[in-house]
Amino acid sequence: MTKSKISRRRLLKSGAVAAAATLCTPALGAAPQRLSFLTWNIIDQEPMIRGWIKRFGARWPGVEIEWLDKKGPEIPAFYQTQLAAGTPPDVINTQGALGLEYADQGALLDLTPRLQAEAAVRERFNPDYLANWALEGRNYMLPFYITKTLLFYNKPMFLRAGLSGPPQSFAELLAAANETTAENASGFLTLNFDWLYWPLYAMNGVELLSKDLKTSTFNTAKAIEVTERLALATASGAINKISWTGRWVEPNGAFAGGNVGMLHAHSPAYFFIKGQGNWVGADTLGVAHAPGGFATPNSHGLGISKASKNPDLAWEFLKFVTDEGAQELGVNRRLVTGNTAVDTKNMAALERDDPLVYAILKTQLEHTDKMVGNWRLGNDSAMKEAFWPELQSALLGRRDARSALAEAERKVARQLKRG
Amino acid sequence: MAIADSTRRLAWWQKQRTRERALIAAFLLPSLTIFVLYRLLPLLWNLVLSFQYWSPLKPAHWAGFDHYQEMLFYDDVFWQALTNTLIFIAASPFAIAFALAIALLVNSDLKGAAYYRSIVFLSYPLMTVAVGIIWRWMYDERGGIINYALRETGLIAAPIPFLQSFAWALPSVIVAEIWQVLGFYMIILLTGLQSIPAHLYEAASIDGAPSGAQFRRITLPLLRPSLFLCAVVGLLNSFTSFDLVYIMTNGGPGHATELLITYVYKSGFGQSKFDYAAALTVAQFALLLALAFGANRAAGSNVGALER
Repeated sequence: MTKSKISRRRLLKSGAVAAAATLCTPALGAAPQRLSFLTWNIIDQEPMIRGWIKRFGARWPGVEIEWLDKKGPEIPAFYQTQLAAGTPPDVINTQGALGLEYADQGALLDLTPRLQAEAAVRERFNPDYLANWALEGRNYMLPFYITKTLLFYNKPMFLRAGLSGPPQSFAELLAAANETTAENASGFLTLNFDWLYWPLYAMNGVELLSKDLKTSTFNTAKAIEVTERLALATASGAINKISWTGRWVEPNGAFAGGNVGMLHAHSPAYFFIKGQGNWVGADTLGVAHAPGGFATPNSHGLGISKASKNPDLAWEFLKFVTDEGAQELGVNRRLVTGNTAVDTKNMAALERDDPLVYAILKTQLEHTDKMVGNWRLGNDSAMKEAFWPELQSALLGRRDARSALAEAERKVARQLKRG
Repeated sequence: MAIADSTRRLAWWQKQRTRERALIAAFLLPSLTIFVLYRLLPLLWNLVLSFQYWSPLKPAHWAGFDHYQEMLFYDDVFWQALTNTLIFIAASPFAIAFALAIALLVNSDLKGAAYYRSIVFLSYPLMTVAVGIIWRWMYDERGGIINYALRETGLIAAPIPFLQSFAWALPSVIVAEIWQVLGFYMIILLTGLQSIPAHLYEAASIDGAPSGAQFRRITLPLLRPSLFLCAVVGLLNSFTSFDLVYIMTNGGPGHATELLITYVYKSGFGQSKFDYAAALTVAQFALLLALAFGANRAAGSNVGALER
């Protein structure tokens, strides 16, 4: 009788344990690892990104990826609030120097040890572009898709003005701007945000900061002269004043209108111009480097939030996106990615299929050692705020170049001091 | 005596007054909880933050008055934003005067007054973002209707870059702001006008008072609560016109249309200087408090009398 009771109890216990084990085992085994992926205004690429997620999930069973896309102006506010809440997205896509600011705040994972451990991954990328996201020698982001400034010019306007080709120096640039200016036409336009105008100073040997980024070096006689010449050209109409007041739509829209000689902008501007200007084609749109080959990058990078709960998985996703993903992104969006092998392959196809886009993207891969305006600062936006309004005043003739640069120097020094 | 004894025996929670107070408290509690959680605590935390060095991922440490020192003695943008905010506020009386003129018109025997009233009010319920976009296009240098009209009528030879010009940008944004809020002011003032007893005007007419004197001696004094309500609303609007400025100019060109509220946002989310943004917010709050207090005093401390 007793034996029978024990046996029943044991049976019940064993049954309970087995049932619990049966119920728990699949749950533990299938506990999904989650990644969140924040992109910057590429909602139009939804099918492609969903495809990435599906393919990555197939290789990493049980991994769930939540994809979020935000427009440019929304990203900083969104990311900062997520940081404050302690729930930042695992993988983040930023543009320009924003990634360095986040790195400086301690928001991003230092990718240097991983890049050192995996030389093949490091060597995928154009080293000059990769170095754009290095702060104090540590790398925080990988190239996602890359851009830098170049010079677009209106060939028919150049022809009418008797100009044989794009300018090769600052003086030639101003002269060309002058010669293409007419009653309803201006000679030159530049984008001005994120230091994109800086090649105009770099081609004159002006630098914003010393090499150690500790002191300002821009307030020189040469910088004053360059500013005065730009202001004079603006006053005369040779440089369209939208250069110093517009942001993206206005200058690109004005150039697309077909009555501006040159546009100094980064490569994505082409797609805007093409969309708005029915005159734009391989025979009419000239593409060149700015004089001296100087250009300011404004690329998109991918980083991992330091607070990520799955940094290893996020790293795997980063490697996937910047390789297989890059291939697809490059083809879909007709852009270059900074992944040398991918770009070489895509460019070969583009040379055949779309020579104009090929010519534009080719500039993005050349003279990468002459990228300027990409100081590795943790407070780049504050520095821009300190410098740009003063320069803008001088360029628009509201104050003289000398006093504007002196004021800018005072403000930049203040920012450098405050860090 | 027995009744007195039984009253004395009632515990405090059994008393009628306690029950009434508890009921009032119960009704107030949800609102008060929200007020404390979403207004008071953030305000206090903001005040503390303004005396610290802080970013989302770095531990806070004491900064003393450093941010205030920076703001008051080194930051030109703060002063520019403050000046622009005060100009925005100063524009309110013009908007109110304009709204009063319209309210007087639609309150008269004007034919179709009801339609005009609706048309003027239509701008108010529009989303500010939509208003910003509409006006941005209207001001556009190349395709804007304003430049087109000015050129077609020969008033200007070349288009005016309204929103790209240091001189024109702020007035242009203010015009858009006034346009949006005009309908609201008009309705408030119209309500005020309609609450003035007609016999006062009849008596004044019998006494031979001209219409100008009637306006000065009857209309304006009796409209005082409505006018000051408009003034306070205008004041608050001036401090919260973030969306309109953000959409139309983003504070530019330079900082020509920067308001304190846009500068707070840029400092916090653009430059990740939340601590400094907190100090700017304290300055803005102090200014708002002082101006609201002044307006209330000027109104005889009875702003909101309409609601009573």
